[in-house]
Amino acid sequence: MKTAAFAVSRWGLLALFLAWVAPAADGQVVSLRRLTEREYRNSIADIFGKEIVVRGSFEPTKRTNGLAAVSTAVLSVTPVGFESFSKMANDIAAQVTAEGYRAKLPCAPRDSKAPDEACSRRILSHYGMLLFRRPLTEAELDNRAGLAKRITEQTKDFYEGLRSSLAMLMQLPDFIFRAETAAAAKDGSGRTLNSYSRASVLSFLLWNTTPDAELLRAAQNGELHTVAGLTKQVDRLLASPRLEAGVRAFFDDMLQLDTFDTVSKDSLLYPKWGSGMAESAREETLRTIVELALRENGDIRDLMTTRRTFLDRRLAVLYRVPFTFTGDWAKYEFPAESGRSGILTQISMLSMFSHPGRTSPTKRGVALADIFLCLPTPDPPNDVDFAEVNDANNPLKTLRQRLNAHANNKVCAACHDRSDPLGLSLEAFDTIGGYRTEENGVPIDASATIQGKSFVGAQGLGQYLHDSPRYPACVSRRLHTYGRSAQRWTTEAMADTNQVFQGSGYRLRALLRSMALSEGFYAVAPAAGQEVAQK
Amino acid sequence: MKIDRRFLLRGTCQGAMAVMGLPFLDCFLNSKGHAQTTGRPLPTRFGTFFWGCGLTHSLWIPKKAGKDWEMTVQLKPLEPFRKKLNAFSGLRVPLDSKPNGQHWSGLAAASTGIAPARTGEFESKTIDQQVAEVIGKGVRFRSVAASASGDPRQSYSSLGGSNALPAESTPLSLYMRLFGPGFQDPTKGDWKPDPRVLLQKSVLSAVAEDRHRVMQNLGASDRARMDQYFTSVRQTELQMEAELQRPTIEAKVAIPEAPSKEIVPSNAWPNLEVVTPLMARLGAIAMATDQTRVFNLSVSSPQNQMFKPGDPLGFHQSTHEESVDPKLGYQPRVAQYNLESMQLFAALLKELDAVQEGDGTLLDHSVVMAFTDQSYARIHSVDGLPILTAGGASGRLKTGYHVIGDNSPVSRVGLTLQKALGVSVDVWGKESLQVRTPYTELLA
Repeated sequence: MKTAAFAVSRWGLLALFLAWVAPAADGQVVSLRRLTEREYRNSIADIFGKEIVVRGSFEPTKRTNGLAAVSTAVLSVTPVGFESFSKMANDIAAQVTAEGYRAKLPCAPRDSKAPDEACSRRILSHYGMLLFRRPLTEAELDNRAGLAKRITEQTKDFYEGLRSSLAMLMQLPDFIFRAETAAAAKDGSGRTLNSYSRASVLSFLLWNTTPDAELLRAAQNGELHTVAGLTKQVDRLLASPRLEAGVRAFFDDMLQLDTFDTVSKDSLLYPKWGSGMAESAREETLRTIVELALRENGDIRDLMTTRRTFLDRRLAVLYRVPFTFTGDWAKYEFPAESGRSGILTQISMLSMFSHPGRTSPTKRGVALADIFLCLPTPDPPNDVDFAEVNDANNPLKTLRQRLNAHANNKVCAACHDRSDPLGLSLEAFDTIGGYRTEENGVPIDASATIQGKSFVGAQGLGQYLHDSPRYPACVSRRLHTYGRSAQRWTTEAMADTNQVFQGSGYRLRALLRSMALSEGFYAVAPAAGQEVAQK
Repeated sequence: MKIDRRFLLRGTCQGAMAVMGLPFLDCFLNSKGHAQTTGRPLPTRFGTFFWGCGLTHSLWIPKKAGKDWEMTVQLKPLEPFRKKLNAFSGLRVPLDSKPNGQHWSGLAAASTGIAPARTGEFESKTIDQQVAEVIGKGVRFRSVAASASGDPRQSYSSLGGSNALPAESTPLSLYMRLFGPGFQDPTKGDWKPDPRVLLQKSVLSAVAEDRHRVMQNLGASDRARMDQYFTSVRQTELQMEAELQRPTIEAKVAIPEAPSKEIVPSNAWPNLEVVTPLMARLGAIAMATDQTRVFNLSVSSPQNQMFKPGDPLGFHQSTHEESVDPKLGYQPRVAQYNLESMQLFAALLKELDAVQEGDGTLLDHSVVMAFTDQSYARIHSVDGLPILTAGGASGRLKTGYHVIGDNSPVSRVGLTLQKALGVSVDVWGKESLQVRTPYTELLA
């Protein structure tokens, strides 16, 4: 056939060339996302069991367009990263083939000193499907089983061979990256994600882990392409307690809680800040979200205003609350006069976006606008002179007075008029989140005006964000991006989902469900040159 | 018998598959069971030192050029190494049509010779990787990076694009990577290749054979990513290969105890003062024992977050918010942070110079390039970017000079260092940063 095409004519050659530059609609990989550390660890625990220890370090991600998840579709694996993946793969494969684990494997060889192809094929096809989130092809299976056989023959040890093949599977990009692969839509409307890619997208989105056997079975039977089949699986995933892991992972990314990894506080000015503080603060915020959005099925806008939270001993010290509870974590409700308002005034959000020894209304404002309103702020001009802002000896005593200097400069004002009021309303909280009423002996003025709306303090800000339609829309946009690693969904689909979200009274489950059931969420852009080919 | 690298790459030895067990190893060893030595001269090493936010012009630039330059306030911590140092002032960083990406353009220009189009991305491999390709072959690690303030992202070593080679972020993780599992002490007599490494290497060869399959059905950018993936597979394969051969070393060093895991790095000065020399020492020993020939140490991000306890602002924020003292003509607190950055550079040099090997010290057999992102951080300017180098590249780089740039592009330094390190490169950089003329007066 191919040789015939070559012989035909220039047009035949052109067709062949087009087929080469424009990959087929079916089977084209449209996105490759590197597993995050959490996704990798959860996958291994689910595939091999929690007793398998994952020892090693992971390459960092980068935050792009507000989400670290976006960078997983852009970054590759460096030699340093691969060296670590390689070590982990060998280490995990060794644990899985160790004496104590062997009873868990799908079969045992007739003779542990000799190859047993039937058994090794069975084991490799079982774990291969779980690791690759799709079945291995016959050729792949032949190849992996062949490696196991060769090594068993040389080492006279069945498990040595198996171990090598398992280690190989875990060093292939098919495991380390999750692929989104295109398939032609059944109704002929273009391209969509194929079954197995849908299973992965759903599982990582909702459970932050690799698809389980049931989801893979549904994918295998094509059920994720039918309304009934998809609904059944989505509802199953949503009903599971494992949804918590998925929701935690999303908010950890959306709220940029990984920023804590690099936050240092001045121990001289703030001796209360100690090691482990960041970890506790991160946990407080995630617990608050899970409680409100999942357990209570509350309105996610209330995350801006609720005074209910969770404390451990460390946090109680910082919040100046006597810790009189049993257990590591306790529910706690701040009194109204505490000035606290939702996750905005939790130690996490207050301390991450501050300097080591001082608050920064600008830093806080820029972060809040980006995180909750999807309004990123450009860098300040290169030659800006901030000296006015910092001279604590000058007559402008508070940061507010000093920041107001920006208002006189049009270039500065364009951004600062938006970011500073958000941050200034939080000035009653110091760089580690403690409450205060004055700065340099002058009472703190936490009033703010944004686009004609005036409010005072964190509670005013909380209500402002609660009532802003931009906030839930931003959560939805981020969730869509998080789920697909880029803007691949159709805008119509997101608009429909947002309607459902609003109609539900902003319930997170409703948002997740509507999104996961929407065909538009799985959309794939037409292949380059596809339209041309149709003409 | 001579083992040539290509021969090993095929994974065979006298026709036998590399996956064979112990007997196969015999072909690596001489009759005494020692890895064969070649009697080659000591390798030349390369290092980088990165600190953010630059120095203060009036305090660091000597007035005199050449060998008789007078010591300045901010170079003072480097006094003990003066004869092994070169200082480059007045270098230009022309960005052509590219934006001046705050805290990025300068460092990317210095380390790639190309003005970056986007902040956070490199347009090519960074200089340490270009050098590593030439001098880093046949050793365990092509390069090693470490971050003294404890952030794996603080690495300015890259194969291009937005991927940086992650930095080891604690002294313990650096130690474990270098001297943990997989390391065999070449200073001890009982060195022998680990047969397990052979098995792992054959698995890697099998992985590499899947390259063609993986590349199918990918778009252009994902193909580039997978290309990088398989390059990484290849490098790990080479690493395994290197682990089967005993390195030849001349330095008298002992592998230290593992550092305490209690040391948790941060941006606070008291931490940097402790962690920087610790990491520098581990890097020095890794190079002395030929585990790597390229070591990159950073002490901060470009927006240098270093702070002294009690200073609510820290280094970066001070560059923007501290007033210029009208009498002094500079920002006094910023100047102090500048000086401390040079103390950290001196700490690295001290460790390199403390290792005796052959006819000199490890520093004599190295070149370290200290670079930064801004020449005047207060207004994010890049022209006049300070660059310092230390070490004589085993006699191929003359040292002790202050070179006044005369408007040379910053890339001229990178070209000169590569020449000294034996990289065959005649043209380096792009557009206005492209250079063909090294500082020939520095090349021996």
